[in-house]
Amino acid sequence: MQPFTTLTAVAAPLDIAKLDTGMIVPGRFQRLPRRPGHNDYAHVFLHDLRFDEQEQPRAQFVLNQSAYQNAGILVTGPDFGCGSSRESAAYATLDFGVRALIGASFGDVYRGNCMQNGVLTIVLPPDIVNSLMRQLQSQPGTTMTVDLPQQTVTAPDGTQHNFDIDATRKERLLKGLDDVGVTLQYLPQIEAFEARYRTDMPWLKHLI
Amino acid sequence: MTMPLSLFERIWARHVIVPNPQGEELLYVDKNLVHEGGTFLAFDQMRTEGRTVRKPKQALAVTDHYLPSTNRATAPASIANPEIRRVVEALDINAREFGIEHYGVHHARQGIIHVIGPELGWTQPGLLIACCDSHTATHGALGALPVPIGQSNQLRHVLATQTLWQKKPKTMRITIDGVLGKHVSAKDVILAMIARIGIGGGVGHAIEYAGSTIRAMSIEGRMTICNMSIEAGARIGMIAPDDTTFNYLHGRPLSPGGGDWDNALAYWRTLPSHPDARFDRELSINASELAPMVSWGTSPEDSSPITSHVPDPASIADSEKRSRVKRALDYMQLTPGTLLDSIAIDRVFIGSCTNARIEDLRTAATVVKGRKVVIPAMVVPGSSQVKRDAEAEGLDKIFLAAGFEWRDASCSMCGGSNGDSLAPGQRSASTTNRNFEGRQGPGALTHIMSPAMAAAAAVTGHLTDVRSL
Ligand code: SF4
Repeated sequence: MQPFTTLTAVAAPLDIAKLDTGMIVPGRFQRLPRRPGHNDYAHVFLHDLRFDEQEQPRAQFVLNQSAYQNAGILVTGPDFGCGSSRESAAYATLDFGVRALIGASFGDVYRGNCMQNGVLTIVLPPDIVNSLMRQLQSQPGTTMTVDLPQQTVTAPDGTQHNFDIDATRKERLLKGLDDVGVTLQYLPQIEAFEARYRTDMPWLKHLI
Repeated sequence: MTMPLSLFERIWARHVIVPNPQGEELLYVDKNLVHEGGTFLAFDQMRTEGRTVRKPKQALAVTDHYLPSTNRATAPASIANPEIRRVVEALDINAREFGIEHYGVHHARQGIIHVIGPELGWTQPGLLIACCDSHTATHGALGALPVPIGQSNQLRHVLATQTLWQKKPKTMRITIDGVLGKHVSAKDVILAMIARIGIGGGVGHAIEYAGSTIRAMSIEGRMTICNMSIEAGARIGMIAPDDTTFNYLHGRPLSPGGGDWDNALAYWRTLPSHPDARFDRELSINASELAPMVSWGTSPEDSSPITSHVPDPASIADSEKRSRVKRALDYMQLTPGTLLDSIAIDRVFIGSCTNARIEDLRTAATVVKGRKVVIPAMVVPGSSQVKRDAEAEGLDKIFLAAGFEWRDASCSMCGGSNGDSLAPGQRSASTTNRNFEGRQGPGALTHIMSPAMAAAAAVTGHLTDVRSL
């Protein structure tokens, strides 16, 4: 997982409440393979909002407007990512190039999956999220800065907002450690366990 | 002084690498089962990260969910649906690339993941077994500690580390005593239990099934019981290993052999719960009073004895339950007060990891022998070995003579992943574990029951008390 420190990027306002994981990745794309280095899920991110039935981009949709082409930050409506637990929703977010989401609330499982994949989700009070949304809508294509070490978000108007994050999650994101990385820090203990196990359970020796 | 431990607590404690009584503990995974559905994402992610499987010999890959139940000689190439074909091919590629043994379509021991684990002797008492499937508890019937995991990130974690972070659940013992009546089976016991405690009744608990009924049950019956633990909300269901378990395992292809057998057996005998072990919840069921059960709604808890009626929502006091039952009956197109045994059925499916083992097929064959089906009906054995065993006993002839289809091992119409599904509005009698809306296809109406009861429905065309045939 790519470490997350600070990010300055174009921010897009996605002012839709309860946008669920089924809209982030529609069910019919669930069997899509994900190859290294291909960002295979970029195309299906919010697919049915971005494209019509003829696969033509919907011109009105915010992420299709030229000012937001390279958005790396999304300011989202409440409960973004609620719904089914599909991990592909987090993959799609990352593959699309989004590294940070800012909203008043997020779906729990989606939030965990995002953090696991190096996408930072930031919860701010609803009035601040609304103010960010308005600023982005009035100045399309403007950038924002997310500073994880300092735990701050810098709005287009220069105001800084502090955000909370669980200390363990912060550390994992800063170091680029996902749960596998964290567990492998215990490798000596795991190996010691296996050595003991082989002695105690000799009938499993050929496997372990 | 040592605490008197339960079966579950003893095995859990044996697997803790990093203790944390308050939160998630790092547990060692002895064995890990992988099937094709959805798991390609875990392998894709590992590839993206350049990771390898840490202990490939402790994993076994099995193709079951998406495999066709007919015309398999040229599969997977002949699978018409390109998405299904890709999922089946992906596991083959992933297993090969990551060095995991794979029981694919043409393997002699291919079958449903929860059927072949025990059948091969791969599932053993005392092992912590992870599997990316909600019916993993089936393996608990042999005294293993089964842990269902997610198909992408959690599976990837197990493959890459051979460990799992888990919070220890609470414990619950369900004691089932009494002698089962004629044609009353393990499926009826578990349906009655779920009807009693509800689909949320076991949430957050590891269940141990105990009592004289369980002790008298075959391993096949015990697997049917444990299999449906998740239908009561419990991710873990277990039964203490005993001589029935040891006799079942002795001599199976992957069971310990020679001196290893004696060592393993000595350990297995230490596993059962201490007589003074404490459980967070206790429940008991008198099995001698049970009748064959059928479901009438859209959740396994919506089950009643075949001798009763479709319930009337108006008589349910709890308003939430009342509206849920009303909605279920609307979906199932059933009128309150209808006699359950008068409900006409369109199709019969005998199969799935709940009830497609040899004993299940024997029971169903006894019922259909000398009779004819009056509606389309099929038998899909739980494994290729079950199919061969059944053919060696001549069960296939009985089914075919009665007009059943006799197919190849796969999950088939249990969840419909392979394309075997009901048409909208079609009503089935199925030996499966889930009667959720759309489970057997969009708009499908599912009644779940035992193999004997499904066989009886096949020969009469309606839900039928098999005892009356
Ligand atoms: S038979 Fe049904 S419940 Fe069992 S593993 Fe297959 S799909 Fe799941």
